[in-house]
Amino acid sequence: MAIPISQMWTVASYVLKNKLSGNNRYPLVLMLEPLFRCNLACAGCGKVQYPAHVLKRRLTPEQCFAAVEECGAPLVSIPGGEPLLHPEIVEIVNGLIARKKYIYLCTNALVLKKRLPEFTPSKYLTFSVHLDGQREHHDMSVCREGGYDLAVEGIKEAVKRGFRVTTNATFFDGANPQSIRSFFDEVMDMGVEGIVLSPGYSYEKAPDQNHFMGRARSRRLFQEVLSNRKRSWKFNMSPLFLEFLMGKRSYECTPWGSPAYNIFGWQRPCYLLQDGYADSWKELLATTKWEEYGAASGNPKCANCMVSCGYEPTAVMDGFTTLKGFAGMVAGTFRSYKTPPSTPPPATPLPHPAQEAVS
Amino acid sequence: MNTEATRLTREEVETLELAPGTQVKQLQGWVPALASETEIRDALDKAFDYRGDVTLVLKSGERVEAYVFDRNAGPSLAQSYVRYFRADSADKLKAAFSDIAGLEFTGKDCAAGKHWEDWVRKYNERKAAGETGIALHPEKLD
Repeated sequence: MAIPISQMWTVASYVLKNKLSGNNRYPLVLMLEPLFRCNLACAGCGKVQYPAHVLKRRLTPEQCFAAVEECGAPLVSIPGGEPLLHPEIVEIVNGLIARKKYIYLCTNALVLKKRLPEFTPSKYLTFSVHLDGQREHHDMSVCREGGYDLAVEGIKEAVKRGFRVTTNATFFDGANPQSIRSFFDEVMDMGVEGIVLSPGYSYEKAPDQNHFMGRARSRRLFQEVLSNRKRSWKFNMSPLFLEFLMGKRSYECTPWGSPAYNIFGWQRPCYLLQDGYADSWKELLATTKWEEYGAASGNPKCANCMVSCGYEPTAVMDGFTTLKGFAGMVAGTFRSYKTPPSTPPPATPLPHPAQEAVS
Repeated sequence: MNTEATRLTREEVETLELAPGTQVKQLQGWVPALASETEIRDALDKAFDYRGDVTLVLKSGERVEAYVFDRNAGPSLAQSYVRYFRADSADKLKAAFSDIAGLEFTGKDCAAGKHWEDWVRKYNERKAAGETGIALHPEKLD
């Protein structure tokens, strides 16, 4: 388990407190997007396709603090855009640390090394560095040769300075399981605290793309990647969520578990779908037709989604509020998930464009 | 949303091998007719999905170039509204469907031409030409 005890305790007590008070809809992680501007131009990105006047806008530190205080989530993930381009990101981070929030600052790390001296290591602050795989795969994924090397430089410097560092990767159709496993070895060798991973999702606001992994294919990929796990691999995620990805558990989406707040307001219904915005967390909770979302709803926009922002809250809540879930969480922390090496590859695999291009 | 939703059964969801990616119709330059309530609702829904600025022509005669980031469809046009950002204002602004006389998709579609497949093709071409340090760069904001 890569997550520090103090963080686990904070989350566990928060979940239990809500459970005991009968509150069924509460956020675990606030996805705080202080800006959409980015210094990468990844093809297919669904987060940065806006006119210049929108990309120039950003949340003020006060708006960030108000959102954090209003929803009360113990964890705050700061994605974007690239948060390190926000001129007041240090003030935002320091303000959240003062509020004892566990922060995951998601960065492509292109400017991480340069900006690190402005931050102070803290148990509350983790740099979550976007790395989608081994060098060629990552560079192709972020549409920038040399992106991997810059990110790794940033990671190593952050580790050296005593910061908490994780990597986060998104895997799309055609991802090579063996390459992913080698990638896990590489990042653990860099000294990171743990790995975060997720299957890709077809954002509606993203440029057109041909297809994404359906659930059956996603489960096979993660079964291959996460079976016969090495002891050296640490995951900064719920073991139950990883079992969900492997097809060993069935969970429903908890879209309010990771709400997104950005320059438009509180995004409805979740971090991935944009069906409109509410002006407050309270309004979001009260006016969103939650029954219309999630795999159980049959909504085709949710059909291929197994993404952590919707399903990891479910896994965490299961782990801390049921005996079976807790037992599974403890067991999953230490299991290697041994399977025979002859596990068949996915049926009719399609070559990932990135693999074709770099081979 | 711009794709008509067909509900899936749980079995269909769980056995899905490939999920279709989003295929968005090119709307840049489109000037929809807003003669009926259905046309108004449909066009403003598309404006909400559009990845660029549009021009709202208000019944007051004002032309508003804006990015529509929200729409709320109520029981009547007067109770339905869009919310938007204008380039020259920090405020979130709002217009009722009933106050909108015209709509033009005037701004550039910011996602057009940025398909993953386009990048792969361009990358291969540039690589074959011996180029190094190949990258896509964000557009200048100023």
